[in-house]
Amino acid sequence: MSTPSPIPPPNDRRSSRASSNAGPPSSNLNVPSEPSDLLVVGGPPSSPSPLALRASNSPSSKRRKSRAAKVPPDVHMLEYVSACDSNLVCLICHSPFDRPVKLPCEHYFCRECVDHAWDAQQEDLRSCPTCRTKVDPQKDLSPVPRIIETMLDELVVKCPNTKTGCDWVDQRVNVHDHVMLYCEYTLVECPSTDCRLPISQKDFHKGCLHSTVSCEHCHASLMKKDLEVGSVMSICPNRSTNCPHCFIELLRLDLKPHVKDVCPMVSIPCSGAIVGCKVTAERIEVEEHEKTCPMATMAPFFREQQARVERSEARLDPLSRKIGILEDGLTNITSMLYPANGNDSSFPVTNPLDPNSSEAFPPASLMPTPDFRLPPASFPPVPQSSDTTQAQPPFDSQVHHLLTLHESLRDEVSRVSNALTELEGRTSMTIMNENQRVKEDMLHTNAAINGMRMQLHWLMSATLQQRSASAAGSSTARAGSSTGPSASGSGTQGASSRASATFRAPIRRLSDSTRQDVKL
Amino acid sequence: MFATKRLQKELIKLNEKLPPGITLVKADDLKEWLMDIQVMDDNPIYKDETYRLKFTFSGNYPIEAPEVVFTPVQTPSRPIPLHPHIYSNGIICLDMLAREGWSPVHNVESVCVSLQSMLTSNTKRERPEGDDKFVKYNTRRPKDINFVFHDNGV
Repeated sequence: MSTPSPIPPPNDRRSSRASSNAGPPSSNLNVPSEPSDLLVVGGPPSSPSPLALRASNSPSSKRRKSRAAKVPPDVHMLEYVSACDSNLVCLICHSPFDRPVKLPCEHYFCRECVDHAWDAQQEDLRSCPTCRTKVDPQKDLSPVPRIIETMLDELVVKCPNTKTGCDWVDQRVNVHDHVMLYCEYTLVECPSTDCRLPISQKDFHKGCLHSTVSCEHCHASLMKKDLEVGSVMSICPNRSTNCPHCFIELLRLDLKPHVKDVCPMVSIPCSGAIVGCKVTAERIEVEEHEKTCPMATMAPFFREQQARVERSEARLDPLSRKIGILEDGLTNITSMLYPANGNDSSFPVTNPLDPNSSEAFPPASLMPTPDFRLPPASFPPVPQSSDTTQAQPPFDSQVHHLLTLHESLRDEVSRVSNALTELEGRTSMTIMNENQRVKEDMLHTNAAINGMRMQLHWLMSATLQQRSASAAGSSTARAGSSTGPSASGSGTQGASSRASATFRAPIRRLSDSTRQDVKL
Repeated sequence: MFATKRLQKELIKLNEKLPPGITLVKADDLKEWLMDIQVMDDNPIYKDETYRLKFTFSGNYPIEAPEVVFTPVQTPSRPIPLHPHIYSNGIICLDMLAREGWSPVHNVESVCVSLQSMLTSNTKRERPEGDDKFVKYNTRRPKDINFVFHDNGV
């Protein structure tokens, strides 16, 4: 079934078919063999204009029984080649308008759509779907402006039979004529009188094709009309076909593996191509060539190597990413341990609470209390910037910072406690020294006191001896005369004391001396 | 057929471009679609929350309104928004979704936008009156319920 022209006028096809049939067309088909002969049936003369066809459309539907079964295309179902201007789209069906009407509120809808919408509404409540203005469908509908209709007519659509093989594409205004008159893929009623199934227009002349047959090659059972279709013929896997290269006949089933691996005539590159061999020839020649080609000999080895390199590279990628992350972590740790990087002498860290420390270490004054800053959160970008999520640090820098802080504080505390111990030692040393000195002094003083006591003792005893000696003499001298109380006060006092002293002298001395000792 | 064609066209459009805060979640067939909506301004009642809408289309869509309800989902968290016209089982009292208020010019996108604005203009953190009773005893489908649309405030 070759068609002589891209869009064949119907009579061309019919005439060619008529001649190929080599017989008078059967009367029930009503196919005019020559347009000029059968003008009576109303067939259009050679390639009429669409307008003329459109005018003669209704009579032509009567002229053939077979065509009466044709279904006019549903404009709503048409496929548009390009997106339509949204202003030409019906808001109900979202397709370009089909026979649009204008409501009094200037809203446009397809006649069919708005009727549908009104069917669901009560009779007296019909309103514009867009703005709800009340509408009387009997009176208020008016035709849309001519320009709208023209624009709609000029929309380019595909033939509704595109799926079955028609590739007609044209303005929408022509689609009705195309489907009803020209399209070979339009379904018509089967020519057989007792068969009501549809058949494509192009197969109409073949008689009823609605009997089930089985494919002679793969034994799938299918309708004869489908068997005839070219696409089925190219589907059947058991149908024999010819290899396009070596012309050997084989089943379609085997064609692909044949071309890929066997066919001697198909052109393939030398297997050394991956190493650089430029030879490309038919398989049979390439096989000869490969026997001598050093590159083809090396190819398997190289392929192996290649695969290994690729595997290693695939492994390298995550590893390098990991290293990047680890390095970042390390940098961070280092920068937190040695806050001022070029200033290691300042370690161990200065007391962050001591405001003087910044003066003590001039470089540190640039960054006061360095270990209390947040760690530099700027992780240097990981080389694989494509995967930013994986480049994130594996730990929470905030927590890390706190830990570092804690560590440095602990250092500080231990340093302070060391200093304390040292200080304590020094203090106790000083105290001991002082003690020693004081003790010696005391010894000296004691010795001096003892010396003085001895002297005093000696003096006392000397005085006492002296006194007792003189008292013994005087008492004997005064014993009888001094009985009267009229003696002078001092005289009596001195006498009585002397008397008492005389009586108790040995005891008192003893007690006095002991008391003196205690006092000192 | 009518509904299929129209829904196919809507689906193509939804896949192309959607207003902010509206996402198509699932439209495997032309019967039931799931959409997510978010309130775009900072109404504190709905801030940082997303709600899942279920559209069910009849064969007569768009002449007949689709059934639109909120459906709760655990993960990801899709609660039922708190609104004086939304019952806690997700049924929405909105005239646009009822027989009288529906118009075939509405579509999935316009319904979503309407619901967005219905939420965003609300200031009351409450359920409709008689929510418990309604949720407990209602067995009707949303479109068969005769809501009284008395409140034009929200």
